[in-house]
Amino acid sequence: VNARDQQALKQQVTLLELVDRVLNKGVVVSGDIMLSVANVDLVYVGLRVLLSSVATLEERREELIAEGAGRR
Amino acid sequence: MIHLYGVTQDLEELPALAGLDGSPLERWRIEGLDLVVSRVELDRPEVSQDAVLRHAEVVEELLTRSRSVLPAQFGRAFADEEELSKAVRTKATDLRRSLTRVSGCVEFGLRVVGSGTSDVGARDDGSGRSYMRARLAESKERDRVSQKLHEPLAQLSRESVRFSGGELLVAAYLVPVAEAAVFGQQVRGLEAAHPELTVVCTGPWPPYSFAVDPQEGQG
Repeated sequence: VNARDQQALKQQVTLLELVDRVLNKGVVVSGDIMLSVANVDLVYVGLRVLLSSVATLEERREELIAEGAGRR
Repeated sequence: MIHLYGVTQDLEELPALAGLDGSPLERWRIEGLDLVVSRVELDRPEVSQDAVLRHAEVVEELLTRSRSVLPAQFGRAFADEEELSKAVRTKATDLRRSLTRVSGCVEFGLRVVGSGTSDVGARDDGSGRSYMRARLAESKERDRVSQKLHEPLAQLSRESVRFSGGELLVAAYLVPVAEAAVFGQQVRGLEAAHPELTVVCTGPWPPYSFAVDPQEGQG
């Protein structure tokens, strides 16, 4: 692996780590999860990582809906 | 709808950036906390590269302009100011405690890829039982190696968290800013000591992985 490839790889990993953080981590103050997968245009980011992030959110949304239903 | 970027303490000034969709950033003071938000037209924020990067950019700017910041998870929107205020009031105690926990710290991410085992599988003589024994030995050896990598970094950190996954070690470390250089040296040392492994350290990040208090809701 040459230095330029290594640099490109590092940038890619950093971007993946960033997307993972923004979509999966962070504080949830409340509010509904409203995430649209439409118009996903992540040129540099592996779609698989993004989709797994979205899948996690979808699961949580279902959990929240279930919780909300239970409360009523 | 209202998009939240982060909850901060003692925010000096808003970053000179536009929010998602180009609408201006706003700062709301609720319960003594400074919230950074912007209005979005759509009631469903879209996950696009621009939006994710803009969110991250704003959060990163908040890191240097406040005493402490809790990045907000992307993808949640509030109908109006009232809904957000209500949510913040409900969680104010947890939010304040978390802001104190992460204050003065940055996050580093670590990903270590590699087998972490030499040839423990060589004892496999083809039988099911020896195969299982070899797999078990291999898994124990992986745990040992990843623990050995994790331990010294965790000691430099105020908090650390390990994530499960196929890789040898995926973890995040909450490191006091004053220790960041030492942390970097430690990572380079581990990298040099293990040329057989691929070590990728990213950061400094705002404390995304530590924004949620593990004790949340417990008083």
